[in-house]
Parts: sequence; structure tokens; C-alpha cells
Amino acid sequence: MSSTMSSLTFNKKGGGERMKKIVTACGSGVATSQTVASKIDSMLEAEGYKERVEAIDIKGLDDIIDKVDIYVSIMPGGKKYDKPTINGIAFLTGMGMDEEFEKLKSYLK
Amino acid sequence: MGEIIHYILNLGSAIFLPLVMIIFGLIVRLPLRKAIISGITLGVAFTGMNIVVGFMMNTISPVAQAFVTNTGIQFSTIDVGWSPMASIAWAWPYGLLMFPLQLGINILFLVLGWTDTLNVDLWNVWGKIFTATMVSYISGSVILGFVAASIQVVLELLVGSATQKQIYALTGIPGITCTHYMVLQAIWMNPVAKLLDKIPGLNKVSLNADAMKEKLGIFSENSVMGFIIGFLLAIFAKYDISASLNIAMSVATALVLFPMVANLFMKALAPIADAASTFTKNKFKGREVCIGLDWPFLGGRSEIWVVSIILVPIEIGLAILLSKMGFNNVLPLAGIVNIIVAVPALIVTKGNLIKMLILGILFTPAYLFVASAFAPACTALGQAVSTIEIPSGQMITYFGVEAPLFRYFISYALAGKLNGIIGIAVFAGLLYWFIKEMKRRDAAEDWK
Repeated sequence: MSSTMSSLTFNKKGGGERMKKIVTACGSGVATSQTVASKIDSMLEAEGYKERVEAIDIKGLDDIIDKVDIYVSIMPGGKKYDKPTINGIAFLTGMGMDEEFEKLKSYLK
Repeated sequence: MGEIIHYILNLGSAIFLPLVMIIFGLIVRLPLRKAIISGITLGVAFTGMNIVVGFMMNTISPVAQAFVTNTGIQFSTIDVGWSPMASIAWAWPYGLLMFPLQLGINILFLVLGWTDTLNVDLWNVWGKIFTATMVSYISGSVILGFVAASIQVVLELLVGSATQKQIYALTGIPGITCTHYMVLQAIWMNPVAKLLDKIPGLNKVSLNADAMKEKLGIFSENSVMGFIIGFLLAIFAKYDISASLNIAMSVATALVLFPMVANLFMKALAPIADAASTFTKNKFKGREVCIGLDWPFLGGRSEIWVVSIILVPIEIGLAILLSKMGFNNVLPLAGIVNIIVAVPALIVTKGNLIKMLILGILFTPAYLFVASAFAPACTALGQAVSTIEIPSGQMITYFGVEAPLFRYFISYALAGKLNGIIGIAVFAGLLYWFIKEMKRRDAAEDWK
């Protein structure tokens, strides 16, 4: 499944460092994962970060997980990946959102 | 003034929607730049959806017609899935009014203490718009459409609150619930589930859903299912192998592109939905509020996927059987992996795979019947607000029509028809029973 606008070719930070790929996924690749992605994007943008979150269909996640740097999980009890993970539900409920965002920023360093 | 409004409406949904979106964006104090981008993204989403639906109809309409001719099975209605339906719903001229309606009712109920649930799922406002359009068409009154939508908003809050602890038991996340209207079907499933509880042995069967999902996983891919169903349709419509393979690939393409375009709708609505939900959450900050979300957070439960996949061949069989009996004219296509029936079943059976499967089989006819019943309304709406071309003699609908029985009965009840009135009366009784049952489970901690 091809990536959308945040493809790696455009993600070059100054200094030749590749930007980290952040991904979130849900059952239909649409509603909930995009809501979380948009929310995190606006928080990242507000603090001057250039990274953005890509929302994909959970079924395509296995195929690209190797290229993923940070995973935003919104399906508790779902599959766990050996990648830095943050809790996406917090961005929907608002509860614990700031803590998860701090965690995300720490992974981006 | 009337002429200005008339002119705007005649610009077509692809222009009208973005204009309204920009205005909404400015109302919730988005910077002008973001409001304009949201607006244009919405126009792009809508136009893009028209392209994909057009592509799918061009591919599948002739095949469906040939299928009907060659097999005699009356599948004259195309299941385009929820993505195009959402697009059509948003394009309904009164559609965007549903945003403030839902928020208004929710805030009112919270202030009055009639609920403790805050529904932040603003994407699924489209589901209330859809109900309103069906009721408007069948009853002839837009006001009654809004009445039905309001009832649905309230039901979502009631059922959301009632199932919160059950959902915590199923997912481990506190403080949330699922306010998606698909769960309303659980009200009808409850009596049947209680019957199943009486069958000895069903409770004892333990199946490893995660392991089953690993094996079956490939069939939950939109592309794989679309390819298989498209191919079978073409073969039975007497196309040759080469043509059938190409049709199969086209159907797979449409099914993969649909959610991608629907994603654009989400992107467009996200800033406004976020602003609205942040505002509302802040209003009730001190209070212990249960946050109502869309269904995907339940998606970690493999039972949902396993049941939806196993049901596929059963759905096709039921579709053929019911069409011969005259109750159905839809072949499940875009919505064939029907998680819509699995989610309420998950909640009502406490995650028991076998019972979920039985409920799925028993209730699939309801989805087929109502999807068929709503097809004329869906088709008329689609033709009125979008550029989708539907050949005469065919109709569109979506098989995964959530809360089918509620929507069917409320439509006909508000139209003054006896079947609807009786249906809603029964529904009210079952609702009371359902809430009682959830309370009983909570008190007895009977969630497994």
C-alpha cells in the first residue's frame, strides 16, 4: 500500500538527517486513525516539528512496519510491534494526551 | 437573499460543501489559511469520491446486469459500501446542520445530567445525516428526518453510557465507550443472546480468535475480497476468463481506493471536529465524563475480524436465498466484510466467538433486507447531490447499513405506517430490557 503525502523523498531535514516516519493505523484506515493523525500533526506543527503522522489501514501495517520509526497504537489488545509505541487513544479522549505527546517528542530526538 | 442561497446550492456540492466548511472553520476560529485548505480538501474528497464511484459503476453495472440475466438471481442493487454513502450524506444540503445538532443535544443532556457520555466522534455525524435522508425520503418531511436523527443521537448516548463498563472489560481502556450507532443493533441481539446463553455448552467453547485471525487475515483485505467477488460475479455473468480477471482487478481497485478517498474527508473535517471536541471537553473538564468514540478501538479484538470473514460465504448464500424469496436485491460487494454486525455481537456476547457467529448468521438477513429497502432512497439521493451515474434498472445501497432495524422502523413509523410504529414500540421495550441487562452485568461484574 503506497504512502501518501509524507513520503520519504520529501522528508529531508537540514543536515542530511532523514525524518522519522510516524504511523497510526486502524480498522478501516480512515476515520479514527486519521482523526488521531490530524490531532498529532496539529500539535507537532504548533511546536515547530516537521514530522507528520501517516494514517494507514491496519492490514497494510505488517508490510511496512520495518520502515516505521514510531507507531501510534489505537487498538489496544491488537498486535504489538517491536517499535517505539505511543498510545493513540489518549489523543481522542484527551486523557493522558500531554504525557503521550511528551513521549512522542522524546522518540523524535 | 433567497436568490443568493439558490445560486449557491446550484453551484454543486463540490463547491457548496467547501464554502460551508470554510465558514464553519472561521466560526470555530481556525486561521483563514487552514479553513481554506480544509474547504478545498473537502471539495477534492467529494470530487475524488465521484471519480471512484463512477469507475466502479462503469465496471460493475454491465456485469451485474449480465449476472441477473444469466443466473436469474435478482441482484439489481449494487453495494457501493459506506464510503460513497458518507460522501452522499455530507452532500445533502441540510447535512452539515447535523454537526451543531449532535453537539447541541449532547451538551444539553450533559448539562441536564441526563447522560455522562460525550460523543467526540464527529466523523460519524454522517450516520445521522443518512438516517435523516432516509426518513425524509420515506416520510416526505425533512423535519421528521431531523427528529429521527435527534432520536439516534440520544440513543447513542444512552447505549454508550450503558455499555461503558462492558467495553472496559473487552478492551481494558477506562473512561471510554463506543457511541457508534452500529451498536444499537445490540438491542435486538440481546434477547437472542439470552436464548443462546441457555444452550448448554456454548459458554464452554473456547476458541483462540487471535490464532484464527492470523490464518484468515488475508481475506480481510479489501483488495483480496474485491478481487474474488468481482471475479465470481463476472464468471457467473458469463464473461470469459480474461475479461473476468480484469473486472476482478477493477473491483479490487475501487474497494482499495474508497477508504483512501474517504480519508480525505476525514482530513478536511479534522480541524473543525478537533476544535469542536476540544471546546466541549474543556467545558466539562471538572466532571467525570465518559468519552464516546468510533468503533476502531475495539478492532484489537480478533473475534470481530474472524466472524466477519467467516460470514462472507454465508452472506452470499443468504443474499441469494432471500432474493429468491423477494426480500433482497443486493449482492454484498464493497461491504462484504461486515464488521457492522460483528461489533454489536461482540458487546452483547461478551466476546464469545461462537455466539457472535450465530448472531451474525441470524441477523445478516436484516442488513440485506434494509439495504434493499433503502436502495430507492439511496439512489435518488445519490443522483440528486452527486455526479454518480446510475443506469436505469439499477440502484445503489450499502450492505453494511448500521442499526438497520432501528432505521427501517423509525422511517416507516414517522411516515405513519403501522409496521414502523409497531417496530419502534418493540424497539423501545427491547431498549429498556437491554439497559437493564447491562446494569445487571455491571452490578454482578458479569463481563466475561
